[in-house]
Amino acid sequence: MIAALRLAWLLAVLMLGLPAGAQAQPAAAPPLAAELSTRRIEVTTAFTGGEIVVFGATERLIHAGGDEVVVLATGPESSLVVRQKVEVLGFWINGPAARFNRIPSYWALAATRPVEDMLAPLERAELRLGLDLLPLPQLGARGPQFRDALRELKQEQGLWVDQVRPVEVAGGRLFHARLPVPSTVATGDYRVQILLVRDGRPVARQELTIQVARVGSAAQIADVARDLPVLYGVACILLAAFAGWLGSVLFRRG
Amino acid sequence: MQVYLPIAEMSVDALLLLGIGFGVGWLSGLFGVGGGFLLTPLLILIGIPSAVAVGSGANQTLGASVSGLIAQWRRGNVDVRMGAVLLIGGFVGSAAGVQLFAWLRRAGQVDLAVAVFYVVVLGTVGALMVRESLGAILRRRKAKAARLHEHLWIHGLPLKVRFRKSRLYISVIPPLLIGFFIGLLSAVMGVGGGFMLVPAMIYLLGMPTSVVIGTSLFQVVFVTANVTFLQAVQVGSVDIVLTMLLLAGGVAGAQFGAAMGTRLRGEETRALLGALVLAVAGALLWDLLRVPEQLFVIGPAP
Repeated sequence: MIAALRLAWLLAVLMLGLPAGAQAQPAAAPPLAAELSTRRIEVTTAFTGGEIVVFGATERLIHAGGDEVVVLATGPESSLVVRQKVEVLGFWINGPAARFNRIPSYWALAATRPVEDMLAPLERAELRLGLDLLPLPQLGARGPQFRDALRELKQEQGLWVDQVRPVEVAGGRLFHARLPVPSTVATGDYRVQILLVRDGRPVARQELTIQVARVGSAAQIADVARDLPVLYGVACILLAAFAGWLGSVLFRRG
Repeated sequence: MQVYLPIAEMSVDALLLLGIGFGVGWLSGLFGVGGGFLLTPLLILIGIPSAVAVGSGANQTLGASVSGLIAQWRRGNVDVRMGAVLLIGGFVGSAAGVQLFAWLRRAGQVDLAVAVFYVVVLGTVGALMVRESLGAILRRRKAKAARLHEHLWIHGLPLKVRFRKSRLYISVIPPLLIGFFIGLLSAVMGVGGGFMLVPAMIYLLGMPTSVVIGTSLFQVVFVTANVTFLQAVQVGSVDIVLTMLLLAGGVAGAQFGAAMGTRLRGEETRALLGALVLAVAGALLWDLLRVPEQLFVIGPAP
């Protein structure tokens, strides 16, 4: 509902911008205008994942070689350890480990056509448009296999999404992208960048933020467990004991 | 129906958790054990992080054991003095176990340690149970009476105390050590330890069978409470939503199991339980030995 209103408002703005010549101060039509369907993803106890929906319009027609749109979303940074399993005396155990500090916990890229075809390699590297271009500083164990494994496992978890679905275009100038967000997503502020590419060059850029927040009982439980662990531990004991006692009462009745 | 677990930070099918709770509850009602040794590996199998599976498994075992303890207490089958001695050992053991667990987590070897503990402990206990119960079944056929009370080296230790309900006059050192060991395993494996405590009380301490179940439940309730508390404070890995879902299924399952258990003979029940314990150990051992599908794993940075 809100999304539809925003889209209508956006279209109205675009329409008003078109008859520019009639006005004293010609307001130039923005080459790119984008918005998110929602500014907040709520993680409740029933949360099974969601999506970041980006929509907008371009000044000119979207087609290969003309105006093109790239959408990149990144989540809060986190640190991870990648461990390699090694065989020791016939057992598979965790062996050497590499640590990756401050890497995006979520990363999703979508474009109207593959960015590899859209932008020159140098341009692409500068904008870091591609999982292979993501800087992943590695500590601990050496070797490229850790970085490859990190990319592969993150994509398997659905937390890094590299152009799985393209940005959809409707009516020549309207676009929308749906970036899937799995249930294991980290909470925090997410940055969504929308780039307008014209003749293989980025000509306009817009940045939006979306908040992923735990709400309701899921948020309260996690907050209490983190901030008041002693109280939480006692509450867990009492609740479990109460449930066991309730069971014994029900059993006696039945 | 998917439900989001706030501490595990993932969503799981609530019906699957209720089903697991019911199945484990059914088996624990049937065999008279907490069922933690089945629950924790099952939770790890469906993708719950090891730490959360262990913390919440201990919490679930606490709830499941409370109803049993209440029933045994009413019948006067709890030797409080023996339980208290076991508990002192258990508290020290579980505190040491949580430290060990936190250290293993930092070293990145929690999964391995939990699996190895399971294979070794379940393999040993399962093999002993199967051997003992098969022996008992064979002995029943031969109709040869076993000796009531054997005098072992442990009866020569100092610090002797009279345990009236257990009709024992023994040193407090063996129960303290047993309590410590079970507490340690409880913290690392997320189990109550009933399946190890019951045979230890019968065969090592020589307690009469009538008070063994009640006293072991007494010990299990307090040790799992301690483990729950320490895991919640130190590791932050107890998921109350997970615990409550498992308990809801477990309480119902235990009733069906207990009703069915009365129709089975003691030796046959123990042989079946032993076989089940061995099967879990075998499955976990296979998991350690086979070539993993993923040669790399990612985890949170310590």
